[in-house]
Amino acid sequence: MTGVEDVLGALADPTRRDLLERLSVHGFATATTLAEELPITRQAVVQHLAVLDAVGLVHGQRSGRERRFEVRPERLNEAARWMNVLAARWDQRLSTIRRLAEAAD
Amino acid sequence: MSTDRIEREIMIAAPPERVWAVLTEPAHVGIWFGTGSPAEIDLRPGGLMVLDHGEHGSYSTLIVKVDPPRAFSYRWASAYPDAVATPENSTLVEFSLEPAAGGTVLKVVESGFDAIEIPAARETDAGFESHSKGWTGVIEKVGAYAERRDESPLMPVS
Repeated sequence: MTGVEDVLGALADPTRRDLLERLSVHGFATATTLAEELPITRQAVVQHLAVLDAVGLVHGQRSGRERRFEVRPERLNEAARWMNVLAARWDQRLSTIRRLAEAAD
Repeated sequence: MSTDRIEREIMIAAPPERVWAVLTEPAHVGIWFGTGSPAEIDLRPGGLMVLDHGEHGSYSTLIVKVDPPRAFSYRWASAYPDAVATPENSTLVEFSLEPAAGGTVLKVVESGFDAIEIPAARETDAGFESHSKGWTGVIEKVGAYAERRDESPLMPVS
């Protein structure tokens, strides 16, 4: 099991983000299909997909001679939860501001 | 839902002038945004507001807008303590104060998460890794995909 930092590390590369978004649009795609859409080799696509696969962001399934990949959005939820933590902190700060403002001098 | 910004608001039973004082006076800022000690504030656009966060270091936020008692904003490099906030390392925090029946509606928007890089080991709660630039946009797009997938019975679900 990998952590949020691994997910974000995998997302740090713009090509991998691009691949992830394209997979989101397609639903399923093979490395060959994705390479046709991008200015990089199929081999480079395979390597990037392997990184995404290792942290659980995509799932590959054998289909004939190639593997078909799909996005696994579940892993991204962990990163999204970080925003909820930050939002909760603002709720706390706003409550403190209210308490201070409503207190009699 | 946007992941690049946080928006929150609260109703306060006090006039905007009073809320403004809490937002900008050192003794108050030290309490709601620091660790209790009075903050150092040069209250003007371009001025610094320095917050002591104890063991987490001190934050030199850069004041952007001072429009009493309506709007107050500053840039906050929350992932870079001891560094002065710049557009590259910080988010923008914007407070707006709207007079309302019985008091003030205070709204805060923190935006720009997608543009900053969060260095390793800074966000202790989340253990965030460095070079996370651009990640929030992916979360949005893939999140939209997940909703479509869950709604459509024709799409295979693993």
